[in-house]
Amino acid sequence: MGRLRQKGKAGAAKAYVTRSAAVKKLQCSLADFRRLCILKGIFPREPRHRKRANKGSSAPTSFYYAKDIAYLAHEPVLKKLREHKAFAKKLSRALGRGEWSSAKSLEENRPVYTLDHIIKERYPTFVDAVRDIDDALCIIFLFASLPSSAKVSPSLVENCARLAAEWQLFVMHTNSLQKVFLSIKGIYYQAEVFDQTVTWLIPYQFTQSIPTDVDVRVMLTFLELYQTLLGFVFFKLYTDAGLVYPPPLDAKKDETGAGVGAFSLQEAKRIDSAPARKVKEVEIDGKRVSSKDVRQTIKSISATTGDGDVEMPDTEDVTPNDAAEEDFVQQPSTSNPQETSSLHTLKTLASLPQSGSSKLFAPYTFWLSRETSRPVFEFIVRSFGGRIGWPSTSGSGSPFDETDESITHVIIDRPVVEKPDETEEERERKRRRKHIQPQWVVDCINAGRILLEENYTQGKTLPPHLSPFEGRDDAYDPTLGLIAEDIGMDEDEESEVEDAIEPEETDEEERPEVAALKAAATAEDATALRAAELEAEAAGVDFGTFEKKAKSARKKVKAAEAQPLPEGEEDMNKMMMSNKQRKLYARMKYGEKKRTEEREDLQEKRKKIEKEKKRQAKS
Amino acid sequence: MAATEAGRSSRKRKTAVEEPLNTENTFPQNVGLEMESDAEGEDEGVASDDGEVDEFPEIDTRSDTEDEDYESNSEDEEEEDKEEDEEDQEETESEEDDDLHIFPKAKTVVSDITGQPKRVYPPIEPDYDSDSSTEDAPNRVGDIPMHWYDDLPHVGYDMNGRKVLRPARGDELDKFLETIDDPNSWTAAFDKKAQMDKPLSPEELDLIRRLQENENPDEQYDPYEPMVEWFTGKGKEEVMPLSSAPEPKRRWVPSKWEKQKVMKIVRAIRQGRIVPNKPRTTDDQSRFYPIWNEEPSNQPAPLPAPKPRLPTHAESYNPPAEYLPTEEERKAWEETEKEDRDRDFLPQKYSALRLVPAYDQFIQERFSRQLDLYLAPRIQRTKLRIDPNSLIPKLPSPNSLKPFPVYRSLTVSHEKGRARCISVSPDGIWVASGDESGSVSLWETIVGKVVKKWKFKGKIGAVEWCPRTDVCFLVVTIEEQLHFLIPPNLPVAILKATQALLAPANMPPPPAVPSPVKWVSTSAAASTSDSPILTVSLPSGSGLPKQLAWHKRGDYLATVASGEGQGGVWIHQLSRRHSQAPFKKIKGSVQLVLFHPTKPHFFVATQRYVRMYNLAEQKLLKTLMPGIKWISSMDVHPLGDHLIVGGYDRKLCWFDLELSDKPYKILRYHSRAIRSLHFHPTYPLFASSSDDGSIQIFHARVYNDLMTDPLIVPLKILRGHQIREGLGVLQVKWCPRQPWLVSAGADGDVGVWCS
Repeated sequence: MGRLRQKGKAGAAKAYVTRSAAVKKLQCSLADFRRLCILKGIFPREPRHRKRANKGSSAPTSFYYAKDIAYLAHEPVLKKLREHKAFAKKLSRALGRGEWSSAKSLEENRPVYTLDHIIKERYPTFVDAVRDIDDALCIIFLFASLPSSAKVSPSLVENCARLAAEWQLFVMHTNSLQKVFLSIKGIYYQAEVFDQTVTWLIPYQFTQSIPTDVDVRVMLTFLELYQTLLGFVFFKLYTDAGLVYPPPLDAKKDETGAGVGAFSLQEAKRIDSAPARKVKEVEIDGKRVSSKDVRQTIKSISATTGDGDVEMPDTEDVTPNDAAEEDFVQQPSTSNPQETSSLHTLKTLASLPQSGSSKLFAPYTFWLSRETSRPVFEFIVRSFGGRIGWPSTSGSGSPFDETDESITHVIIDRPVVEKPDETEEERERKRRRKHIQPQWVVDCINAGRILLEENYTQGKTLPPHLSPFEGRDDAYDPTLGLIAEDIGMDEDEESEVEDAIEPEETDEEERPEVAALKAAATAEDATALRAAELEAEAAGVDFGTFEKKAKSARKKVKAAEAQPLPEGEEDMNKMMMSNKQRKLYARMKYGEKKRTEEREDLQEKRKKIEKEKKRQAKS
Repeated sequence: MAATEAGRSSRKRKTAVEEPLNTENTFPQNVGLEMESDAEGEDEGVASDDGEVDEFPEIDTRSDTEDEDYESNSEDEEEEDKEEDEEDQEETESEEDDDLHIFPKAKTVVSDITGQPKRVYPPIEPDYDSDSSTEDAPNRVGDIPMHWYDDLPHVGYDMNGRKVLRPARGDELDKFLETIDDPNSWTAAFDKKAQMDKPLSPEELDLIRRLQENENPDEQYDPYEPMVEWFTGKGKEEVMPLSSAPEPKRRWVPSKWEKQKVMKIVRAIRQGRIVPNKPRTTDDQSRFYPIWNEEPSNQPAPLPAPKPRLPTHAESYNPPAEYLPTEEERKAWEETEKEDRDRDFLPQKYSALRLVPAYDQFIQERFSRQLDLYLAPRIQRTKLRIDPNSLIPKLPSPNSLKPFPVYRSLTVSHEKGRARCISVSPDGIWVASGDESGSVSLWETIVGKVVKKWKFKGKIGAVEWCPRTDVCFLVVTIEEQLHFLIPPNLPVAILKATQALLAPANMPPPPAVPSPVKWVSTSAAASTSDSPILTVSLPSGSGLPKQLAWHKRGDYLATVASGEGQGGVWIHQLSRRHSQAPFKKIKGSVQLVLFHPTKPHFFVATQRYVRMYNLAEQKLLKTLMPGIKWISSMDVHPLGDHLIVGGYDRKLCWFDLELSDKPYKILRYHSRAIRSLHFHPTYPLFASSSDDGSIQIFHARVYNDLMTDPLIVPLKILRGHQIREGLGVLQVKWCPRQPWLVSAGADGDVGVWCS
């Protein structure tokens, strides 16, 4: 006989702890616990049996893995949080006593924690980190656009704005933007970085205010983590691209509203860190072989891509990556210590986005009209290799002015207004340039080719803007035209009604015609149909009426085919499914039904709209 | 020792000091007051105790200028002292008392409260030095909550027991006017006892001020009293040292270790390792470094959080027109709770990008995403990307498994009641059907013409044809009786054999133990097909036998009756005309019994379980657990290795007897309770009937080798019986030689289904 098992010593009872038990064990406040959970990425788990995990109680609690909590228990940040608690007490005590000098020295030595180790733990490899920066980017872009307040400090907003600009600079530099979608919530962007698709959402440029039902502390804790994460990710991205991180900010430009243009991308070559060189020479001997590999990879890449790269206007000082790496191989001693970083570089070189449609706008030069959003279209156009300029009212830093001859497109978002006092020159310019609405740019990107400008010219009603992210195969596709038969059907129905009014005896007269119709309905190929037509002609039926009738007959046959057998074999075989299978089947069928309903609903609506349009066109 | 000495000396001193005071204090009022109330005396006693403690510093020579108050407090004690210490003092005092006896004469009056005579002194003139507590306390109710008097006209009683009436109090306006009129009204406080405002005395005001200013409430208290040197000072120095140990060196030599510690810090500062008041590193930018350069730990990365859903066409600022919600959809969306909406936005169309406003839920959505990230439990789900139809098992087509019954060829109806039971003769030509009104019809399977009708009293419980082919008769059960009937128009040989079997000329010897079951038969000559040739009467109280089960050979017949003990199971043996109850007692109420087709085994189905007994060895072989709440029907495969059990909870369990006690397959396809099951004796078919009015035909192929699972294929659902009072098809039976099915329904119809 085995040993008696005590209750609560093994299994779910041991593997899970409730939140209150976790807080008690960590000896911190609930707020601190939440903060730790956010930073460490620990989330509650759902035990298979709640009662077993909670000593037989079914009270609504959240459970955490006991191991997760044990892992939190020796977290350096937790120690720092405790220190901070003591510090806060000391400080308030000193302030209460009016001991200003000791308060000052305390304040100077306030405990500060770093999240570097957490970043490394949560994202052991760089790819893991890149995969997870979606949310981080969304929040960073949001906070970059928030007004600073008591809760959101100006320095925080500034830092977020800097990070946002750095990300945009990188995406523009590598031309890795893939898709853009103008939604009612904001603008969705999708870029491919390190083979990972990164999607982020930027709100439209309006002042947002934090609503009262949102806990800012939670958002700020996330932001704290995201700032660190993005800092490290950008550092790696920039250094791998051979750029200096952080990109130096030109304060004067920034003040005049240059936006992204205030940052200048610098090549890493120019900075040589003297103390690091000593350490490096040893490393380099070991790296010789790998650098050869690097060169080979580069060659293979350049062979495939060719020299189709068109340099961007702002980053002209940046030589392409390939050249930079070549330099590195020739003069190993002068290169940057971070550049030697081995395996990753090799991988990154291979995985750097290749320019396909990424140079879509390379032959064009755009001019932004005053009412369009400069940051958005500057980012989009430059990411696809286009040149863009803007009036000084939308910020400084435009590479050319409105009179520039090279401008091919004007992105304009206002109705057409006839200006009587136009000079000849202006008229000429207007004629030469294409005035398009902003949606054209985005639709071109999503289509992967330059679309015809006619539909998008100024003042025209735009074609619908579709999401490039719609994924499901069985979803409703608005681009597909309605089947001609479907549209025509309504007419047929009407004519059928007319036919019904006709006296019945005609039917009897035209017996052979009916037979021909039947043949036409069931006819599978063209020859059979032709034979049926001939037969009908022989019976003396007008071709037009025959055609119509044949169509409706065909439809009837189709409808009859479409009807499922009432007691099919399959229905019977369902009896033999196991319970589990039956439930799964029911669930799948439910989802399928819901999707079809949705699709059919949309199709129905579209049909109605189309019909309405036709009627209006007629009248 | 020293303390007691000091105490004594203090007493002596006191007496010395107090002599002149005594003379001062001998006022008649004072004494009189003391006598008036014991409480006062006690109070003073307490005060004197305090005084004794406080007296300690009095020993000081300079403290002879004592306050009068103090002395007056401690006068009681003084008197004691006098009594104890000095006799002559006592004498003088008594003299004094005599002299000072100037009380006004007391009058003796009869108290109007107690009715007893009592002395009444004239009221005392409170001239001076009288205690304020005695001065004006007309209300003598004591320390009680004053709200007891809230709804009474008085507020208490005075010393004489008279009611103290509540003083008139004006309304708020009056009070306010009073405060205006009287400049000192703000120093008045409400006296609960008197129920009126009493001005505070200057002393009380001073006390309040002191408390307010955090001063000592005692005006006399001097926090900076000169220190009294008890053990030190001039002439009190200790001459002898307490310890004879020499003074240690560390008292005057500077510490080496301290110096070392200090020097360590000094050196660190000199070398720049410690920078005092180091400026904080504000350079936030340079704190990033290649964190991913070193080899990652080989632990798997934590699972990334699921990415949010990507936007669809509906979310576009300029969606196709069909995505825009109609008026009803918009209304429905607005009316549903925020949590219940299937999408969190309403599609909208803007003609130009510049017209698109800010999204008002942006921050909320980001926040809810964050809440999801850290508060929502995550479960890893494997998403099946399969066609749901692939889950349906692939079975041979029913068309390839013909023949099986498809249509109803004929119907025989029982007008009077539900057709409960049917039986098909072993040659498949005749069908006997019994109904609840007590009639049993005999008709031909092919024609459906009723040839013979028997009428019994009460319901027919079961009808069963004898499986033997050399004889021909059927058994009908009614309340507590089994009737053996011979159908008409039998060939003579068979009729003779049957009569010889059922009513033998020479009876077999009666059993040693008499059975409660009576076998009564009419003689062969007298028997007709109208009346039963043999009747077996079960013991009274056994109720209606619900089921009859023949052994394959046709000699044994088992019945299950509803009532009575012993489970109501009887096994009757025709050749010996003997009945026996196989079970002395049985757990649970027996629903059904069955003989095994090949082996001497016997199945007994109780409400929940099916037990399999070996009749030869008389022991339990196994208990099958179908997991059905209430078993309704059961049949065994003709080969004997498989058993199907149906229940009122719609389940059908297929047991492989070789395999397990648990069902090999559980099917649930009927929408109501299963009523009856039957295996075809020759074809690989079985049928089940249910209260939902349908009959389900299955193909059931059983393989001889143990490795292949039986093949069960649903073939056909036969509908046509009406549901009456919640009952559908009550029994189904196969024709033994054709793939035909006979079914009896609650609507009184008996149908024959042909292929």
